[in-house]
Amino acid sequence: MATATLPASSAKGTPMTQEEKKVIFASSLGTVFEWYDFYLYGTLAVIIGKQFFSALDPNSQVIFSLLAFAAGFIVRPFGALVFGRLGDMIGRKYTFLVTILIMGLSTFIVGILPTYASIGVAAPIILIGLRLLQGLALGGEYGGAATYVAEHAPHGKRGAFTSWIQTTATLGLFLSLIVILGTRTAIGEEAFADWGWRIPFLVSIFLLAISVWIRLSMNESPAFKKMKEEGKTSKAPLTESFGQWKNLKIVILALVGLTMGQAVVWYTGQFYALFFLTGPLKVDGATANILIAVALLIGTPFFILFGSLSDKIGRKPIIMAGCLIAALTYFPLFKALTVAANPDLAKAQATSQVTVVADPNECSFQFNPTGIAKFTSSCDIAKQVLAANSVSYENVAGTGPAKIKIGDKEIEAYSSKGLPADEAKAKDAAFKKATIDELRAHGYPAKADPAKMNKPMIIAILTLLVIYVTMVYGPIAAMLVEMFPTRIRYTSMSLPYHIGNGWFGGLLPATGLAIVAQTGNMYNGLWYPIIFATITFVVGMLFVKETKDVDIYAKD
Amino acid sequence: MWKIVVGFLVFAALAMWLLSKGGDVDISGEKHGIDVAPHAASSASNP
Repeated sequence: MATATLPASSAKGTPMTQEEKKVIFASSLGTVFEWYDFYLYGTLAVIIGKQFFSALDPNSQVIFSLLAFAAGFIVRPFGALVFGRLGDMIGRKYTFLVTILIMGLSTFIVGILPTYASIGVAAPIILIGLRLLQGLALGGEYGGAATYVAEHAPHGKRGAFTSWIQTTATLGLFLSLIVILGTRTAIGEEAFADWGWRIPFLVSIFLLAISVWIRLSMNESPAFKKMKEEGKTSKAPLTESFGQWKNLKIVILALVGLTMGQAVVWYTGQFYALFFLTGPLKVDGATANILIAVALLIGTPFFILFGSLSDKIGRKPIIMAGCLIAALTYFPLFKALTVAANPDLAKAQATSQVTVVADPNECSFQFNPTGIAKFTSSCDIAKQVLAANSVSYENVAGTGPAKIKIGDKEIEAYSSKGLPADEAKAKDAAFKKATIDELRAHGYPAKADPAKMNKPMIIAILTLLVIYVTMVYGPIAAMLVEMFPTRIRYTSMSLPYHIGNGWFGGLLPATGLAIVAQTGNMYNGLWYPIIFATITFVVGMLFVKETKDVDIYAKD
Repeated sequence: MWKIVVGFLVFAALAMWLLSKGGDVDISGEKHGIDVAPHAASSASNP
């Protein structure tokens, strides 16, 4: 058997070899796939819902909602454990060959899956089954790619090499847009909703074929090969990673001191910013998409910049600076975004006082990540209507049904609890009309006026938010890899990554929305990322050690 | 490197051109509920 050759540290100053480029390309293709799927299931959610779920009775819809939620929030970390364990036992190459096969085939099969109209309830069951399977495989994909690239990278270049993986989020978005919008433009809106939505799923087979072909031609990672030759592979990676305090402690630090903050900064920079533009600021969807895409285009090279910089000045200073600067500047940046995107709204908020007078016992924390909860009290309904119209308001305790006070005008809200559907609908329409008419009279705009938007300023702010993302995300893969020994690396780094990004990042939109509705201030949703980024900054600064000079073979 | 930069720019330009032609699509990522009506605003997303 040939002895594994470790990447030479002397290679620090030399350009990337063809083999190294191939390693990065092969690994990144899998994560492009991951992101492509991520955007497909967002952009096509309404069509998929119509084709597979809308004919189900309400109880079944609740069950399927919970299963879809589980696919992202429970199955992915579980997949991190399953495939992480495999990766540490049988090798990186074969494990992430399996993950991409499962992921790719699950996506492709959605493209040929009969709908509810053809095979009844079997259609949503199979679809959810495929998403669960895909979520499982996805849990093992990122950790595999990061580990594989880092273990091929020369010492002193791991940050630069692994940062390429992070650029795939933007590539995945652009690819999904090209395929979806290209298909929709070519065949028309009606045909796309009818059958054309299948094409983006079917197209994924080409991406899969290329990925599998390239990955088959790759060698096992030198670090794993060396460890295997020496008979030092772990027999029980899960027990070693999470059953021994010395490793578990690092897993917890990786989560709380790194990925938690990285995730919320990333979600805020890309997804919450988009939601903030189209929701509270009422910028039309097409304009907001282009503004975000331009910011991503400008910001994406910074992944490489900060990844490479982390090889020189360290991972920790860059990630911690990203968390701290984000936490300190989110409020002023989002307020500046309001002035730039919807100056009329900023003016109305500054001049018109709005108050909700309600019995505090009637007011819920409107946390609704699956979209299945119903909020029916007069307080909740009043706050929903105001939040939907981007109104910042004060809460005053009172008795009886909730009231909205706008200037000297008072509008009484209603409770839909126990009301027949028709009556609830009529009351809803009347209440919304009365509130909205009054809001308009006080200068609250129905839409952001494109003529008044300061687009260069909006792009500058959004780009800055993306640059924060690149600061926390660019060096993260290298740092996670360097925190753990080769024998349990895949397992140990995958779990904190998926819990951080899945749970802390994934719950940001729903939690942010609930905080806004609860407090009456449209900026207060930012407390969620600010608090978690600050926790990561404090824990990271105190307990996480710099890793750039770590010899990843030292503990093998 | 220049090939990657040019490729990325072409790719991005194509995506943005398509967005400008009819880009009112949801790019906020995967939904973790089931969308049975348009604009299920509170559904969360994660990669």
